[in-house]
Amino acid sequence: MQKINRRNLLISSVAAYTVTGLNLAQAHTTPAEYTINIRKFKFEPDHIDVHIGDTITWVNQDLVAHTATAEDGDWDTEMLEKSQSKSLQVTKGMTGEYFCVFHPHMKGKINIM
Amino acid sequence: MKIKTTLLAAGFIASMVGLAHANDPAKLNDLEIAHVAYIADNIDIRYAHLALAISSNPAIHDFAKTMIRDHTAVNEQALALLAKLDAQPQDNFLSQSLQENAEKLITEMSALRGAAFDKFYAENELAYHKAVNDLVGNTFIPNIENAEVKSLFEAGLEIFQAHEHHAEMMVGEVN
Repeated sequence: MQKINRRNLLISSVAAYTVTGLNLAQAHTTPAEYTINIRKFKFEPDHIDVHIGDTITWVNQDLVAHTATAEDGDWDTEMLEKSQSKSLQVTKGMTGEYFCVFHPHMKGKINIM
Repeated sequence: MKIKTTLLAAGFIASMVGLAHANDPAKLNDLEIAHVAYIADNIDIRYAHLALAISSNPAIHDFAKTMIRDHTAVNEQALALLAKLDAQPQDNFLSQSLQENAEKLITEMSALRGAAFDKFYAENELAYHKAVNDLVGNTFIPNIENAEVKSLFEAGLEIFQAHEHHAEMMVGEVN
């Protein structure tokens, strides 16, 4: 009886794990959307954890133009004037640091999980 | 060159402090302050155009283009606000002093070439933004009466402080 219970418990655990795993897999395949505000010469937040396929939108809330540009040059929002925004879908190459080409002390980081 | 630029910057600040005895910048009204800011923006735009014409250093070019872009944007906002308030900026002693000082500097910079120009331009930009930021932060903003004008100057100060930081980086690159 105890053996059966243990087996049932094991089966239940595996089933639960599988369901949870499926949910997690499903969650990862459902792209998320993130917003990074550019305000007072800062990227807010300046660090973001994302998955491939998610979308990041940079919104410039400053009076002057900015960019979000990969340090290695792989991707770029190009110039964002006041109140303009640009969305980019996260790809494998987007992990790492980025900055504003016009104001190089402005820095942000993307971490792909 | 460093000493020379420092002296020029000091002269710029001293001229404002000296004038404070006869013409106090703290006594300027909002429209006079707006005029000073407009002139100060345009002076830096002129310096930047000079840098683009003379320098071949990519760091100098990047900085100069940013100065033109940012100061033009600030001036557009200022003019839009003045239009909304149905007001005109008013010329005053400080605007004239800034202009005279700028003419001398432009004449001096125009005679320089190569690394000598880059160093002068970078150090002057740092000194200029430090002086203007001090004036805006400690004299203008506390004395501006109109809330919208004050808000624009506060936003402007953040921009010019970022320029000051950028100029520090540029000075490090050309030295």
